[in-house]
Parts: sequence; structure tokens; C-alpha cells
Amino acid sequence: MPKQTHEIRDPIHVFIRLTSEERKVVNSRPFQRLRHIHQLALTYLVYPGATHRRFEHSLGVMELAARIYDVVTNPEVVSDEIKSLLPELNDRDTVRYWCRVLRVAALCHDVGHLPFSHAAEKELLPDGWDHERLSRILIESPEMAALWNHMTPPLRVDDIVKLALGPKKARDLKFSVWETILSEVIVGDAVGADRIDYLLRDSHHAGVAYGRFDHYRLVDTLRILPSRRTSKGEQPAEPALGVEEGGIQSAEALLLARYLMYSQVYMHPIRRIYDIHLKDFLLEWLEGGRFPTDALGHLELTDNEVTSAMYSAAFDPRRPGHVHAKRLMCREHFKLLYQRHPDDLSKNLEAVDRVYEAINGRYGAENVRRDQYPPKGGLADFPVRVKDGRIASAMSMSETLRRLPPVVLDSVYINPGLVDEAKQWLDANRDMIITRKAEEGV
Amino acid sequence: MKRLERAALLSSLGRELIDKGSWCGETHLQKAVYLLQEVFTVPTAFDFVLYKFGPFSFELRDELGSMLADGLLELVPEQPYGPRLIPTERSGQLEKQFSKAVSEFYGPVSFCAQRLGSLGVAELEKLATALYVTKECGKDLKAKQRAKRLSELKPHIDSKDALDAIVEVDKLLKEVETKSVA
Repeated sequence: MPKQTHEIRDPIHVFIRLTSEERKVVNSRPFQRLRHIHQLALTYLVYPGATHRRFEHSLGVMELAARIYDVVTNPEVVSDEIKSLLPELNDRDTVRYWCRVLRVAALCHDVGHLPFSHAAEKELLPDGWDHERLSRILIESPEMAALWNHMTPPLRVDDIVKLALGPKKARDLKFSVWETILSEVIVGDAVGADRIDYLLRDSHHAGVAYGRFDHYRLVDTLRILPSRRTSKGEQPAEPALGVEEGGIQSAEALLLARYLMYSQVYMHPIRRIYDIHLKDFLLEWLEGGRFPTDALGHLELTDNEVTSAMYSAAFDPRRPGHVHAKRLMCREHFKLLYQRHPDDLSKNLEAVDRVYEAINGRYGAENVRRDQYPPKGGLADFPVRVKDGRIASAMSMSETLRRLPPVVLDSVYINPGLVDEAKQWLDANRDMIITRKAEEGV
Repeated sequence: MKRLERAALLSSLGRELIDKGSWCGETHLQKAVYLLQEVFTVPTAFDFVLYKFGPFSFELRDELGSMLADGLLELVPEQPYGPRLIPTERSGQLEKQFSKAVSEFYGPVSFCAQRLGSLGVAELEKLATALYVTKECGKDLKAKQRAKRLSELKPHIDSKDALDAIVEVDKLLKEVETKSVA
């Protein structure tokens, strides 16, 4: 009898096991393409070890999502109240069906990523497009639909799309409470499998310890819980993914790891400016300055094609994108000149706008770049079941969660040849630039 | 509406909610903005989908995160519920800076705060989802049918509570029409 379960060795989860049906998904062209998409774009130019790909991350998300699912659907830990609110939990076939959907949705949640997992989707894709929409096109493509139809039982495409994208990105689809919870298991902002895997994996490959935390404990203590009550006698609100009180330190550690990884790795100023130079290159190199949005066009482009083109362009001034490719390949990147500062914000909330305009006006747009990353994901709040059985808000339980600084970035970069002069000029004029505009009113 | 102008309006809404006794957590602000936008067509331009506790905007969530980062809101933990989002002195200055927009929408802001200020999360969820269903199905559809739809979307809301919420929304919409609050 042929083998029905297959193992893949993994540096984070040791073994990732998958069924023969899931292996067909892994062997599909959309999934194999992820072998050629760097998880952290050009971060390897700063952290040389960070050359890992979306391929292994996606396998890791499947493994973790399935572990979480097994824990939160275990009849021994599901309360009667939750069983009555979520009938899906009471039928073994339904539980098994959704486990299969969850695993393939986790596998496919990133298949739409652009080369270098590029974040500048607004500039590099037509209006209304993002990588999640591309993921959806691939999940719904005839090649993948045939795989879903041949599974036992066949999987509904919309179910996979919902769990892979979540309510934020699949806005035309109506999510039941159950589907919302399962999508949170994969792409949830607080304790989703995607986040758990990328922190552990990126930390491992980048060679920084900040992203590590006790994810075994966290996964073991995850539960589907009724949300907190907010007034005496009020009925519990809808169920959500939460933790037992004993897991709150692990959840704190995850969210602290996220903050530290953002500060040290993802928001590293040189890594960020490389991303901007890459975007500038792509705008000139791509036909019409945009990535294709049809399935085949998307599948044909990986980091390999872009890297090869960049390498050629860097040493040939006649090729499109030469200036930007040279900055990347010859390490002639722009330098950090100014970044968001609390003192300046207290004088003018639009301080970075004013500085950027002033620097742009003085040195010219071709010599100046701005990098913005506003806070995303909201408050890290989720229900916690305390030892006496009551439900509390994680933020009311944890001083650590309340005090975690938001991840926010707003910076101005300048051509390396101008950095010394620009720094002197800005030091001499910064207060005037910021306060003058504030007094005039924005 | 520009970002800071919108932040000033959100700040004034938070202040009004607190004044009317609200806990003013994220859910309270989410549902109050939904009401402002959908009933009074205040141009805050957030996209709402059915998610946590009913209609929810991911863009509004990020905007509240930006306001926290900019020191316009302060996270104030209080037992036993989730944290409150309290407008700061800095946001008071912003409201003055954008006083025109704030006063232009004072009527709807005050009305929403008055109606929602005393409600907890579960009550807000029922009311906001009832409004969502009414917008989706049209208010000409019978209340019982809309209540059925509400319970389908939110199975933890029983049929009696769902019907009460639909009736409450109909009353609210009628009141807005007749009083011309906007």
C-alpha cells in the first residue's frame, strides 16, 4: 500500500507531515513558485542568513494551524457554552472537513505574493489589487480547483478562500462566527499561525534571538472562548480565539517578540531603503510599471527573474532601472536623514511631512525618499479564561500588553553624496521648518 | 476628509461617548462610527465588514492605532473589562484646530453618543448588526425576517434579542428622520 503520510524536515517544527492529497497541492505550480520568493525580500543584504523562502514558511503555517486546530477543537477543553454556540464542534465529520480546509488554506495563504514579497503593492499593482487578491485568483484557478475537487471529501473553494484571506481581505464573502475564528487561527493579528511561524522562522534565519518565544505553551493554551462581558448581567458576546490564564505569558512573549523583530529586523533602516530602491527599479523595469495580475503572468515572475534583470541593469546604463539597480547591487543606497521623533510630533503632528517637503524642495525629489509604516493590527486584546472560569480581557490582565509600544515608522532618506550637508542644514533649520508650519495651521 | 480632520472628529466622538457614560473601548468607537457613517452619512469613509461584534472596520482599527501612536488617544486599563481609549489634551488641541469639521458634525456625534453611551459590547453588537442587516435587506423587509437573518449571522443572539434589536433600529432610524438630527 502506498504511503499516505509524508514528512518534510524543517528547522523550526522538526517534522512537517502532510497527506498525499496535500502533497499534490505542494507540488502544484503556484506552491512551487514560493521556493523562489524570499520571505524577507532583500533583508539578506543586511542579515546574510535571511535567505529563506515563502515555501517553507507556508508549510510551517500549515503545521502550526493544524496543531492549534487540534487543541481548540479537543472536546475536553471546549466548554458546553461554546459547544452550544458553535454547532460545527459537535459533529466529527464537520470537524474533520474544516481541518482539511484549514490546512490547505494555511498552505495557500501566501501564494499570491509578488517577487521579493514586495510590500509596495499599491504602487506595483493596479488599483484595487493586493497579494491576497492574487492568492484568491490562484486558489480559484482551474489547476487548484481540480485538486480541491479530488479531495475526500471535496473542499469548497470559498471555504478555502475565507480561511486563507480572512474577513479583512475577502470582504465580499460572508463569514460565520466559526469561519471567522478559523481564519484567525491562520491570519489572526494576535496569535495566528502565520505570525507565530514568521517570527520563529525569521528570527532563526536572520540570526537574531528576539523572535523566539515558548510557542508550544502558547499553542497548548489556546481556546475558543466567549468574549468578555462589559457590564453586570450582560450576556457574553460572540466567541473568539483566546487563551487560558496559564498561557498569557507566552502570548506576551509572542507580542514582545513581534515588537522586537519589527524594531531590529523588519524596520532596519537599510533593509527598508533597499525595499524602496527595489520598488524604484521595478517601476522602471516592469511593463507599464505594474506586475501582471493574471494567473499565468503572476506565476512566471519570481525573485530569480527580477534578480537577474537587476544584475544586468546595474552594470549597463542602457537598461531600464539602471540607477536603482546599481544602488542595490553596488551598495550605494540612500542614507537615513530624519525619522519621526516624539519632540517634533509634540510641536506638530505633521512634522515628518514638513521635513520631507523642505528636504525635497532643497535637494530635489530624485535625491530624497520617504518611508512610512503606520501602526497596523490594532490592540492586542483577546479573551482570557482566568482560573476561576471567568472571562477577562487580555489587556486588563497584562501590564506588558498594555505597555507595548506601537510599531510605527516615518523616515526621510537622502542620496549618500548629500547626507553630510543635508544633516547640517536640517540641524540648523529643523525647529523652524516644523514650528513655522504648525503656527500657520495645517 | 483629511486624516487629522478625521482624527479630530473621532476624538470629539470619544469625548462625547465618555460624557454620556460610555466605557469608550475600541468596540464602542467602532459601533458609534458605524452609526455615524451609515445613518448620518458623515464622510469618515471607513469600510465596514461583518466581523468582531458586528460591523467592524479594519481601517478604523488602524486609525485608532495611529491616534494612540500620535498621543491623541491614551490607553487606560480598568478592571475588569478591556482598555478604554481616552482622548488626550493633545487631541483637544487638534479638535480646536479642526473646529469647523467638529462643529459641523456635532449633532450626529452627540446623537450617537447619547444613544450608545450606556450600552455594553453585547448590546452594541446586537444594535449595530441589526442596522447592518437592515441596510443589507432594506427596511421594508419585515422585522421578523430581518431578525431571522440577524440570528443566522450571529447565532449567539437569540431570536427574541434579535427582534428587539431590529425594532430598536427601526425606532432609531425613524427618530433620525423626524428630528432631522443631521
